[in-house]
Amino acid sequence: MSSSAPPAGRPVFTGLGVLSAFGAGPAPLAAATAAGSAAGFAEVTRFDVSRRGTRRAALLADPPPLAAAVLGAVADACEQSGLPGGAPLLLALHSDLRTREVAAEVAQGAAALGLAGVDRVYTGACVAAATAVADAAALVGSGRHPRVVVAAGHLVEPGVFAAFDAGRALARDGRLRPFSSGRSGTLLGDAAVAVVVEADTAAAARGVRPLARLAGWGRSGDAHHVCRPRPDGAGVARAVRSALARAGVAPSGVDYVNANGTGSPMSDLAEARALREVFGEALDGLPVSSSKSVHGHALEASALLELAVTIGALDSGRLPVNAGWLGPDPEVGLDLVLAERRPDVPPRCALSLNSAFGGANTALLVAAA
Amino acid sequence: MSTPRTRTLAAAHWPPGEPPPPLPGFSASTFNPLVAAVAERCLAAGYGEPGEPRRTALLLASAGGDRATALAIDTAAAGHRMPPLLFFQSNPNAVLGHVASRWQLTGPVVAISPPEAAAPGEVPPDALELAELLLADGDADHVLVIAAEQAAPSAEQGPDQAAAVLLAAAAVATATA
Repeated sequence: MSSSAPPAGRPVFTGLGVLSAFGAGPAPLAAATAAGSAAGFAEVTRFDVSRRGTRRAALLADPPPLAAAVLGAVADACEQSGLPGGAPLLLALHSDLRTREVAAEVAQGAAALGLAGVDRVYTGACVAAATAVADAAALVGSGRHPRVVVAAGHLVEPGVFAAFDAGRALARDGRLRPFSSGRSGTLLGDAAVAVVVEADTAAAARGVRPLARLAGWGRSGDAHHVCRPRPDGAGVARAVRSALARAGVAPSGVDYVNANGTGSPMSDLAEARALREVFGEALDGLPVSSSKSVHGHALEASALLELAVTIGALDSGRLPVNAGWLGPDPEVGLDLVLAERRPDVPPRCALSLNSAFGGANTALLVAAA
Repeated sequence: MSTPRTRTLAAAHWPPGEPPPPLPGFSASTFNPLVAAVAERCLAAGYGEPGEPRRTALLLASAGGDRATALAIDTAAAGHRMPPLLFFQSNPNAVLGHVASRWQLTGPVVAISPPEAAAPGEVPPDALELAELLLADGDADHVLVIAAEQAAPSAEQGPDQAAAVLLAAAAVATATA
């Protein structure tokens, strides 16, 4: 069992801002994921992809500059929360030649919004934003801050697109098909997302009703390879168990899993094995999907985008659809959400999972408010 | 290099200006070999040899990041051919995966970009604070903090710099009546 420390306070989400390929706000994203829409993906025209094997992504038609996109999401989250001034901002960005410049622009804009500036920039690939959320929860839970804003942004650029294409990480058939037979890789997507993580006592004192609770979180490393997942999924399983233990929730208490599900043949299988390891036979009745199949893989912002989808699913009771399905992979064995589904008993507790290069794994356990 | 709530198990730095050993699977940049070399030195000082799995987190802090790889990716994207290896090293987690695999370190894997580079031979204060938070949060028994800065192309900032420190939570004093 994990020795994860139980939180001293209870982190809740009191604000959410989203910009995705479906536009601004959580509503169009929620509608698309609940319907399993493939409309987000299109041929890339933002830059030249004529020499790439894969040419599709889930992009905004006319995105603002990255810092402005992030600040828009932060402003929306702060407004929804009614956030008092002085909260620190944890920011997740891709590590490249512009990271510091973008972070400085965000810091300047954040100060104008009344925040205490950017406290830290996370660059740890596809778990960067989930790592920031876990740290925000630890800061709130330990009483160091009553509230912390977490933001992330990723707008698809030619360098990352070309590198992922050269690394054969992108779906050759132009469709992201998590856990499906015939899956061949991922597709990238734009996102800028922000959440306000707040101690429940602080939110209650302000008379603010939370959107959802962050009941638990867990992190682990595969100790296996620079970029391949550990085939048996043991690292993912440890992250999930840590999140469950921290929350004091049994596996049977989880109603839905928004899986990492990148569409990678190896990674999806490892994740399915991890879920089987944790949930055993109960996995057969546990709805699972990867919302990346609708909004694409937003890399450093992916975990926050998927957290937003998961919060929306708990709010609406409509489970995100695992789009792009061709047929079962007999080794996967998951109860995938393949069509619009609204369970008779609304989901109350959901996992949002992410994994990254370096064998990094994160699990966020979200509970209805 | 520790905080009141942590204790140092080992520390190391890589001699400025000395090329690190090549790291198989990585190309185009000294950043990843530098990270691997200083991590190896610190872990050897702390643990001796790789052995049984340990719940040790890896935390890489770099203000500048892997500039040479980022430049190589941008250059290749504008040209005709992208070397596939650049995909693997397109983010700082990859080299941490190498270190974690070799030493069987199963704790969280974290990369941050502090606003300012650490003083030569040291790790940034913010990274030490985060290490303390990771230890208190419970998913790791130790944290290997690595600071690495690649020389700017103009070389105005001097040679590549790297330091590492292996931390554990400080012993909790027992309160007496």
